[in-house]
Amino acid sequence: MSFKKAVTETHLLENAFEKGLGALRPEDKPHIQTEDTRKLSGSVDIDKAYTAEEPNANRWDFAIGYRHSNRRTDFIYWVELHTASDSQVKVVIKKAQWLLNWFKGHGHRLAMFEREIVWVSSGSTHLTPSSSQKKQMAQTGLKQVGGTLNIKNNR
Amino acid sequence: MKNKTLHIQNLGQIKDAKLSFGDLTVLVGPQATGKSIAVQLLKLMVDGGQVQEEMGRYGLDWDGELPKFIDAYFGEGMQSVWKSGETHIRWDGKEVDLELLAKNRRKNKDENLFFIPAQRVLALRDGWPRPFTDYSPGDPFAVREFSEKLRVLVEKEFSGESLFPQPRRLKKEFREMLERDVFSEFSLKVDKFRSQKRLVLGSESGGNGLPYMVWSAGQREFVPLLLGCYWLMPPTKVSMRGKIEWVVIEELEMGLHPRAISVVLLMIFELLARGYRVVLSTHSSQILDAMWTLKHLRENKASPSVLLDVFDAPKTQGMLKLAETVLSKNQKVHYFDKKEGNTRDISDLDPFAEEAGASGWGGLSEFSARANEAVANAVANSNR
Repeated sequence: MSFKKAVTETHLLENAFEKGLGALRPEDKPHIQTEDTRKLSGSVDIDKAYTAEEPNANRWDFAIGYRHSNRRTDFIYWVELHTASDSQVKVVIKKAQWLLNWFKGHGHRLAMFEREIVWVSSGSTHLTPSSSQKKQMAQTGLKQVGGTLNIKNNR
Repeated sequence: MKNKTLHIQNLGQIKDAKLSFGDLTVLVGPQATGKSIAVQLLKLMVDGGQVQEEMGRYGLDWDGELPKFIDAYFGEGMQSVWKSGETHIRWDGKEVDLELLAKNRRKNKDENLFFIPAQRVLALRDGWPRPFTDYSPGDPFAVREFSEKLRVLVEKEFSGESLFPQPRRLKKEFREMLERDVFSEFSLKVDKFRSQKRLVLGSESGGNGLPYMVWSAGQREFVPLLLGCYWLMPPTKVSMRGKIEWVVIEELEMGLHPRAISVVLLMIFELLARGYRVVLSTHSSQILDAMWTLKHLRENKASPSVLLDVFDAPKTQGMLKLAETVLSKNQKVHYFDKKEGNTRDISDLDPFAEEAGASGWGGLSEFSARANEAVANAVANSNR
């Protein structure tokens, strides 16, 4: 199954698929850099699609599909674009937990793809690799990158 | 304080090292990348005349020849680090001719740099500091000189006195933290065994003192470090010893629990506050965590009490003043790259830096970063 097909068969995402980075807000696009834009399989704004159904939930932002040269199927980058601050760590962890739960329900088709759950943090962050917050994030499946997510052809 | 620079080319493992020394400077890098050579060379740059004087006083004679001088100073077999015609050293922008230094005695014999070497545990034998001449002529000068300084300190300044707790040397807050995190209920005192003086750890509950051989590895490492700090904190109104301006401490973390490392770092802050310029070499990520904390607290104008929170230190007037002073100091961090044989200024300590040596803090946080990545991947992809 392709990324696009899985998106269109997912509850509330039926009409949310966008080509390239089309699902991202214009101001967010510079934070995602790809080695080859032709390898982008599309994107989807999860947060927007689920606003009405789950208005008070800590909803995840975006999914971006990419066909890596050394992968046969689409790889999904689950991207949260969120201001960096130590107090926001808990908020982003809650969002990642929402996403992991969603994978077990409505998101089960998209959960079949290999993935990275990435917090692209704008502004300065103050977490050392050995900090307990970093460990908490890792245990939630969450990676943090600063400013820009760079997607290479091979991974 | 104005930063000083040391540029080393083609010396031992070092191909090209450009070091800038701030008030507090930390050198990191894998084993055998030249950190120790660099700090020993720094001592030679700052104290060339004093080194010559001390070596001569204890009967070392290098016949004015540089290879013999290098062996006597850096240690036996080290003359191969020098490559004639290829090795260049610039101290604070000026080319230094080491061959000339080996040949001619310098007039200025002042000691401006105190060196606490990594091998400091060797400074005590059976619990008593060894004199300079107790070592082999092939042992590094830095170890022999440090040992001699401790001998003079213990014999002249602590005859019959308790060395720890010692109210005239250390602030009460430090004494309490050291009791809590290093010495437990023990004190450090001079004892005699068949007329031979020795340092022992004594317990408040009495009984015989514990001799050197039964000390923990951490206590054996810590005691020479503590005595080195005593040397730098004279019990007078003058806050600094003699003309010493620089302090080099190699691998201060050796044998110490992270809590003890925190206390030692606070003692380093005390040295900074007294006006010393401090250079540390380390393999401890905790020390870089501390440097990173200092940088961000300084840049964000945090209150001194926040720094004390980090170190679990009491917020007394004295400690708050100390933290305030340390936050006003400048700092540098250099990474010795084994592959390239050069150094990089990683003072930004940016975990998101593009270059791995910088983001991994010279390799000290690489393992944690890789562990985080592996766990994040495993968790994110479970139940697929």
